[in-house]
Amino acid sequence: MGKLILLLLNLIVLYNIVAAVFEDQVGKFDWRQQYVGKVRFSHFDTHMQSSKKVLLATESNVFAAINTRTGDLFWRHVDKTGPEGNIDAVLHHGQDAVLVVGNGRVLRSWDISVGGLNWEIVLDSGSFRSACLVGQQGTVKHAAVLKKSVISLHYLSNGHQKWVENLPESETVNYQAVHSDGNGQVYALGVVSHSHIAVVAYSAEDGEIIKQVSVEAPWLSNIPASCAVVGQGMLTCVDSTTMSIYTLDLYQQLQMIQIPLQSLGLEVDPGFQPHLVSHQPHPARQPLSEFLLQLGPDHHLLLQLNNGQIVILRDFKPALLVSFATTGEKTVAAVMSPKNKTACGINLFSAESGRRLLDTTLIFTVDPNAGKPERLHVQAFLKKDDSVGYRVMVQSEDHALTFIQQPGRVMWTREEALSDVVTMEMVDLPLTGTQAELEGEFGKKAAIQDGLMSMVLKRLSSQLIMLQTWVAHLWKLFYDARKPRSQVKNDVSIENLSRDEFNLQKMMVMVTSSGKLFGIDSKTGSILWKHYLDNIPSNAAFNLMVQRTTAHFPHPPQCTLLIKDKDSGLAALHVFNPIFGRKSQVAPPALSQPILQSLLLPLMDQDYAKVLLLVDDQYKVSAFPSTKNVLQQLQETAASIFFYLVDSSQGRLSGYRLRTDLSTEQVWEVVIPVEVQNIVSVKGKRPNEHVHSQGRVMGDRSVLYKYLNPSLLAVVTESTDLHQERSFIGILLIDGVTGRIIHEAVQRKARGPVHVVHSENWVVYEYWSTKSRRNEFSVIELYEGMELYNSTVFSSLDRPHAPQVLQQSYIFPSSISTMEATLTEKGITSRHLLIGLPSGGILSLPKMFLDPRRPEIVSEQSREENLIPYAPELIIRTEWFINYNQTVSRVRGIYTAPSGLESTCLVVAYGLDIYQTRVYPSKQFDVLKDDYDYMLISSVLFALFFATMISKRLAEVKLLNRAWR
Amino acid sequence: MASPGGQGGAGALSTRGGSGVRRMKWTLELSLGNTRSRDRQSGQGDVVYPIGYSEKPVPDTSIQETDKNLVEKRCWDVALGPLKQIPMNLFIMYMSGNTISIFPIMMVCMMAWRPIQALMSMSATFKLLESSSQQWLQGLVYLIGNLLGAALAIYKCQSMGLLPTHSSDWLAFIEPPQRMEIMGGGMVL
Repeated sequence: MGKLILLLLNLIVLYNIVAAVFEDQVGKFDWRQQYVGKVRFSHFDTHMQSSKKVLLATESNVFAAINTRTGDLFWRHVDKTGPEGNIDAVLHHGQDAVLVVGNGRVLRSWDISVGGLNWEIVLDSGSFRSACLVGQQGTVKHAAVLKKSVISLHYLSNGHQKWVENLPESETVNYQAVHSDGNGQVYALGVVSHSHIAVVAYSAEDGEIIKQVSVEAPWLSNIPASCAVVGQGMLTCVDSTTMSIYTLDLYQQLQMIQIPLQSLGLEVDPGFQPHLVSHQPHPARQPLSEFLLQLGPDHHLLLQLNNGQIVILRDFKPALLVSFATTGEKTVAAVMSPKNKTACGINLFSAESGRRLLDTTLIFTVDPNAGKPERLHVQAFLKKDDSVGYRVMVQSEDHALTFIQQPGRVMWTREEALSDVVTMEMVDLPLTGTQAELEGEFGKKAAIQDGLMSMVLKRLSSQLIMLQTWVAHLWKLFYDARKPRSQVKNDVSIENLSRDEFNLQKMMVMVTSSGKLFGIDSKTGSILWKHYLDNIPSNAAFNLMVQRTTAHFPHPPQCTLLIKDKDSGLAALHVFNPIFGRKSQVAPPALSQPILQSLLLPLMDQDYAKVLLLVDDQYKVSAFPSTKNVLQQLQETAASIFFYLVDSSQGRLSGYRLRTDLSTEQVWEVVIPVEVQNIVSVKGKRPNEHVHSQGRVMGDRSVLYKYLNPSLLAVVTESTDLHQERSFIGILLIDGVTGRIIHEAVQRKARGPVHVVHSENWVVYEYWSTKSRRNEFSVIELYEGMELYNSTVFSSLDRPHAPQVLQQSYIFPSSISTMEATLTEKGITSRHLLIGLPSGGILSLPKMFLDPRRPEIVSEQSREENLIPYAPELIIRTEWFINYNQTVSRVRGIYTAPSGLESTCLVVAYGLDIYQTRVYPSKQFDVLKDDYDYMLISSVLFALFFATMISKRLAEVKLLNRAWR
Repeated sequence: MASPGGQGGAGALSTRGGSGVRRMKWTLELSLGNTRSRDRQSGQGDVVYPIGYSEKPVPDTSIQETDKNLVEKRCWDVALGPLKQIPMNLFIMYMSGNTISIFPIMMVCMMAWRPIQALMSMSATFKLLESSSQQWLQGLVYLIGNLLGAALAIYKCQSMGLLPTHSSDWLAFIEPPQRMEIMGGGMVL
């Protein structure tokens, strides 16, 4: 009976928090964008003339097919992250694409028309070197895979191994390439560095070694970098030290023939590693005897190897990029050469003759806010008159793909940099022009300058403008209402951007690891601006801060990005306007010292920009902006400015205090021995977080006050010993000002990765329990007790009583990728945890399930408090997935921002994909529902109004009649 | 809801008091116009009443000893009215329970409002009790009864949890404390 009551109670409690999206709300306030990452291999589907697919294999371990007309995904397969899912090679033939994945661990074949898996086999161990298709008599039936010590041949139809052979002398010879040109032989090419080249020819039939030769080549160390097979089995190499081209006939293997570049009248640019590109149009046929040679950053040559003689067909200078493409029997070379600063021209040249083809010029406009073009992927096709037409996909440094058609029409652009967002912020949009006008009208400066009369005139004119815009708005509403809903386009451009009445539309400023910044409209997901910062080191750390919001018209909003090179420690600041993406006129200070951390103070200078403090490696502080006003403010408040630094390599947490001369003194230090455990993460509270309720109401209606220390830090440590019996994780709650350890918890037999959320008076963390082999959540809540020590101010320096600590743990049925808490304007709405799952779902878990006060035995008081009885398992309810079926692959982070509505929190999940939505943790208590029946309500109101009018009149008549009687 | 007895008593008293001014033993109507007007009023045509005839029955106004007692009794009825309601109220309170829903709230509102209303119109009640010899005692009893009723209502509010007597009721008004120190930082980048 008791259990039944419990169940009933649970049902009642749960009933209230069920919130899911209705079918007609799908896509109304959420959007998803899917990306693939930086392209490593690309193949145009050429087996059908009308095909519009391009296959992309990327460095994010994604294999996808993209529609060349629209740039949308046909299908996409996301493999494991890291080296395990790394795509080593893509062999494309007809309907099949064969992928070597995970350093030669797996061989997979995909059907490219639908993206289905044909077959998958696990290969023998050994690190992968090369792979190629093997054809015989014009048909391609096999694929050869070369590993460190083994070569194997597989059927393309089912992946079965035809034969596998050990490579001779694999201990000394470093086999690097495999080649086949349809003559029934497979060549494995190896090199003994700076000594000789080894060529082993296998019979494609049975794997028998037909020939095995080694040829002197003391200059050679890397075959794929400097060699290519050209024409009739001629291995052609280029060497920069001897300034020569070497050729070797693989069929006869007599010896290397050296052709000095000088004899051809060529010269390598100093310091440039020359590069050879050959082209094999069909795997069952020989490669072309023409090849491309790159001698400098913008110097390419089309050469022909003719009976051992090299003929220069064409010299391309300047030429940024060249690429071969084949259609039918024709092979062309596409050459991109710079025209002027903002445009490049692409031309086609016949590969056989080097002649320029007529009417093949294509203009590629280089976006000044994008990176330089890096690679050229050419799709050639035969036109009706048998001439060659083409389209190009240009891959640029910022990972963007641009697909261009003649004569330069951009068909689509994919910003693949967005597949690797590092950090982001959401910035309020500016007010509309009229609103800004009003603001400006009553600004400080205006009032001083103008007299009374002109102020009146101004007011009248601004009112007139407002009336005008209102009428225009009404007209637009009326006009749009007549059109079907699907046709109503809401064009978003920077010009017509303005804040909506509930501040639900914001500007998402995203920083990607490639160094490209994006400004994205949160309502539609369209990219409004982009800015590419070149020379960003690959391992840079980014820190994005909003120094001035849009609230201070006419001062423009201002964001500052701190970019730190982790190797040199040097940092740079990029100051920009987050709404337009333009670089600000404010000159950032030059930072000569390595920067350790930055700190955004709530202090403002006279232009309402928040002060940014930068701590250098001498523990000296510099301020930006550093005007006199700011320095004076800093001197006044220096005594109350503290900062902490965590050096995880030394296991050192230290707190510092600012002195008035902007030097610092160390106040406290906590050392965690790195031999035992290391610091994984440190989480403070978000500075824009508001907590409305200072306590919790108990069942007896007394108050348990929360311990809301704004400078509390949650430090997570993991043990260095990973043995499952001895591993542990630790949680340390430290006051960042005084260094006082408020609480310490150790979870034995537990292992990371630990995900932490720290907010209000609670810390939630998730870990892997090695003892029970499951994921567990743990929650710590801090309370001050039944009385507040000091209700007006909170000072960490004056806290004599330690807080009460409550903790409880739960079992979670899934591992998680990331975790974040919802955030609302005033903090009245209850909190939810947003959990990104590896499955791609984003779960909105009510915080009330993670409450250490959940009782094991239900009492009258706990029922009064609405506490759910403790149950160790947390369940995942499908209606808690805020992204229904819009899977977000590889969620790396979730960003939450408050909106103007207290009930609504804006959520952006980013990873490989980007997903934006809104969540309502306590439902939409401040908004009428979407399906609110305005018609019914207003008609009832009007009906009642008229009924009263009529009945009043009737009553009057009746009274009059009675008086006459 | 006043008891029927109390109300009836008040009505009777007022009638007697009000007609006291025009009290006459007998009356002679000589003017013709006046008769006519009366005729027209009564709508009885040309019938002339004999002298001394009054259409209304003349009330018997001789004061009797039993009347005096009746007044006393009536006045006590008025004074004890609120007290008499208390058991009834207690029963209703018990029946309605402590849950917060529309009917108990209406109940409580009624219970609280009636004594307050009665206390506000205290002077009118005193006027009613004027004729009684124990006016002050009765007034006191009446006051006490109403106060008890109000107390009962407050007790009901308290048991329903409607009174802001706990610290939790003032929780929403506590401002977040101002922070004294500014702190920031993080992992060394």
